[in-house]
Amino acid sequence: MGPHTSHRRSDNRQARQAGAVVPATRVWAYAALVFMLFTVAAPLGLAWGQEAPAGPATEYRDILPGVVGSRNLIWIIAQQHLLLAGFVLGVPIFAWVCEIVGVRTGDPRYDTLAKEFTKLLTSAYATTALFGGILLFLLIGLYPKLMSYLTDVFFPSFLVYCVLFLLETVTLYLYWYGWDSMQGATKGFHLFLGFLLNVFAFFIMIVPNSWATFQASPVVITEGSMWARAWAATWNPTWWPVNVHRLIANVVLGGFICGAYAGLKYLMAQSKEERVHYDWMGYVGNFIGVFGMLPLPFAGYWLMREVYQYNQQMGITLMGGFLSWLFILQAMLIGILFLGANYYFWLGIMYRIPGSEAKYRKPILAMLVILLICLGVWMTPHSLVASLEEARKMGGTHHPMLGVLGVMSAKMTVVNVMILVTFMSFVMYWRAGKQETATWAKAAKVGQGLILGIATVVILVLGVWGYFVPAITRINYFSTTQVLVMLFVLLTITPLTALVLKSAKTTTEMVWGIMPPRAAYALVLNAVMVILLMTLMGYARSSSRVHWHVYGVMQDTSPYAYSPALGYAAAFMSLNTFLFCLMVAFIFWVASLGGEKKGGAPGKARVKEAVRPAVAGAR
Amino acid sequence: MTEVQLLQTIGLSVVGLGGAILLFVKARFVRVVAFVSIVLGGFTLVALSIPQMASLPPGVEKFDVASIKDKKELASIGQKIFFGKGQCALCHTIGTGEGRCPDLKGIGSKLTRDFMYESLTQPQAYVYKDYEHVGPAKFFPAKMPYINKKPIGLSKNEILAVIAFLQNMSGEEVTVELSEIEVPGSAGSASRRGVL
Repeated sequence: MGPHTSHRRSDNRQARQAGAVVPATRVWAYAALVFMLFTVAAPLGLAWGQEAPAGPATEYRDILPGVVGSRNLIWIIAQQHLLLAGFVLGVPIFAWVCEIVGVRTGDPRYDTLAKEFTKLLTSAYATTALFGGILLFLLIGLYPKLMSYLTDVFFPSFLVYCVLFLLETVTLYLYWYGWDSMQGATKGFHLFLGFLLNVFAFFIMIVPNSWATFQASPVVITEGSMWARAWAATWNPTWWPVNVHRLIANVVLGGFICGAYAGLKYLMAQSKEERVHYDWMGYVGNFIGVFGMLPLPFAGYWLMREVYQYNQQMGITLMGGFLSWLFILQAMLIGILFLGANYYFWLGIMYRIPGSEAKYRKPILAMLVILLICLGVWMTPHSLVASLEEARKMGGTHHPMLGVLGVMSAKMTVVNVMILVTFMSFVMYWRAGKQETATWAKAAKVGQGLILGIATVVILVLGVWGYFVPAITRINYFSTTQVLVMLFVLLTITPLTALVLKSAKTTTEMVWGIMPPRAAYALVLNAVMVILLMTLMGYARSSSRVHWHVYGVMQDTSPYAYSPALGYAAAFMSLNTFLFCLMVAFIFWVASLGGEKKGGAPGKARVKEAVRPAVAGAR
Repeated sequence: MTEVQLLQTIGLSVVGLGGAILLFVKARFVRVVAFVSIVLGGFTLVALSIPQMASLPPGVEKFDVASIKDKKELASIGQKIFFGKGQCALCHTIGTGEGRCPDLKGIGSKLTRDFMYESLTQPQAYVYKDYEHVGPAKFFPAKMPYINKKPIGLSKNEILAVIAFLQNMSGEEVTVELSEIEVPGSAGSASRRGVL
C-alpha cells in the first residue's frame, strides 16, 4: 500500500471527523451501481443455478412487428451510424487539408476553419460511437445467429478495431486540445498528429467495411488459424473498391456539410463580418466537395465491375434487375448535385466579381443547357414503364429513339461531359476578374481550348462507337479511355491556368458576403443530395444480397427476407436524411456553446484577411 | 388506401407544409428545415412514381412427385423453376437473343441431355470455352454459376425438370424419365413419392 492510498484514507478520516456529509450525487451514484450490480448479477446467478433451456438457439427476435419491426429499426440506426461515421471520418480529412493550406499560404482563416471543424469532432465522435453501440446491441439481440457467425469469422478484427479506436481517441484528444499550444515551432508536430488521426480513421473505416463487404462477397475458408480465416474473409473481392469509394465519398460529405453549415450560418448572420466569413467558408466547402466528387463516379464504376466479376447475378440484380430503376434515381440526385455545385460557382461569378455578369452570361447559359441535356440522357431508363398497348406500339419496352440513350455507352459519355463542364465552371470562376499579362497567355488559352475541344470530341466519338462494339470492348477500353481523356484535361488545364494566372493582374477585387440567399440554399441542397445518395446506395448495396445475410452462405429466413420497393425505401431514406441533418445541426449547435473564443468565430481580424487570396480561385 | 397512396399522401403533406412555411415563416432556421423537407418529400414522391417492385425471396414451390403424370407436366414444372428459383432467365433469353449469356432457343436440340446436366453442375468444364467472346480476351469471365450449389442450389430433381423443359420447348423428345425423379431421403428409389 503506497503513500498515496494512505494519504487518501487520512483525508477520508479527516472528513468523517469533521462531520462532512457525502454529497447527494455520490449517494445516487452508489445506489445506481448497486442496482446495476443487482440487475446484472441476478440473472447471472439464476443462470448459474440452472441448466440452460434445451431447444434450438434463437435465430431472430423482433421489435413491434407490423409497427417498426427489427429490420426497419436496424435500418435507421445503422444508417445514422454510417452517416455519422462518414462525417467524423470526412471532417478530419477536411480539417487537416485546411490546416495544411493555412500553413502553406499563411492565411489564418484556414487554420481557424480547420479548428472550427475539429471542435465538432469530439461531440460528433461520441454520438457516432453511441449509435455504434446501440447498433451492436440491437444486432446481437435481434439477429443473434448472424452475429454469432460473423463473430466466429471476424473476432480477430474486432480486437484490431478496439485498438484502433483507442489510438484514434488519444490522437483526437491531442489534436484538438493541443491546437493552441502547438503553434509556431510545434505546428509541424500538430500537422503530424492530424496525419495520424486520418491514418487511424482510415483503418477504422476499412475494418468494418470488411464485415459489410464480406456479407456481399464472402470468402470463407475452413482451414488455418483464427487470424488466417479472418484475413481471408477481410480481403474479399469488393473490400477495396468499397474502401476507396467510401474514402472519397467521405471527403465529399465533409466538404458539402461544411458548405451547408456555412450556408445556414450565412443566412442567419447578424453582421457583415459574419456574412463575409461564412460566404468564404461556403466557397471552401463547395470547392472541396466538388473536388472530391469528380473521381467518385469512377470509383463507383470500379466497384460495379468487381461486383460483376464476383457474381454476375448480383451485378444483373443491381443494374438490370429489380434495382435498375434505382440508378435512375441516382442519376437524378447526382445530376442535381452537379447542377447545384455549378449554380453556386455561377452565382459566385455574378455576385462576388462585379462586372462579370455580361461577360459570362452566354457561357453559363451554354453550360446549363449542356448539363440539362446530359442529365436528361443519364436519367433515360433502358426500358420504359408502358402499358401493354404502348409497349406493342413501340415494339417492346424500349422506346425506338429514347431507348438508344438508356444504355451505358450514352451514360458514361454524359457523365464525363458533366464533369468537364463542372471543371470548366471552376476554371471560369478562377479566371474571372483577372487579366493575363504573360506574353504567352494567348497561346496558352488557345492550347487549353484545343485540349478541351479535342477531348470532348474524343469522348463523344468513343461514346457513339461504343454502340457498335462488344460490351466487353466498351467496358475495358472505351470507357477507360474516356475517363483517361477527362483526367488528362483536368491535369493539363489546371497547372496551365495556375501558371497563366500567376502573373495576372486583378481587374476586379472579389467581394465576399454579398451572395444572395439562394446561394446558401444551393449549398444546403448539395449536402442533402450527398446524404440522400449515401442512403440510396446503402440500400442498393444491401439489397443486392437479396434474401441472404451472407450471400450464398447464410440465408435470411426471417419474415423480413425481402427488399422493399423503391418508394417505401425512399421514404426511409428521406427520414434517415432528415434525422441525420437534424443531428448534425444539433452537433454544430452544441459545439457553438463552447464559446466563440475557443472555437474561433469570425472576428474583425479575419475580416481584414478576407481580401487575401484563398485556395485556387477563391482569391 | 394502399401503402403507396399513404406514402404519397405523407410526401405531399410534407411538401405542402414546407411550402407554407417558406411562404409565411420568417425564422431562417425553420425556413431551411422546410426547404430540406420539400427536397426530401419531392424525392420520395419521385421514387413513388416509378415502378414499385419488391425483391421477394424465391418461393419454395413444392411439387408432388407422385402426382406428375407425364413428361409434359415435368417440363411445365421445369419451366417454373427456370423463371423462378433457378433464376436462369436473369441472364439467358429464349429467342430474343439480347441477353448477356447464350440464347437458349432450341438448346434442347443442340445439346445432349448429359451435356446440359454438366453445363448446369460443372459450368466451367466445357461450356464456357464454347461461348468465349470473339476479339480481345475478357478482363473477367462472365461465369455461369454452379446451379446445384448455393446461392441457387437446385436439387437433382429440379435440374432434371429444367432439362425436361429445355428439351420440350425446343420441340425435342424429353429424355428425362419419370423414374429418375428421386424421392428425398431414399436416393435411387424408383418409387415417386415426396416433393421435388
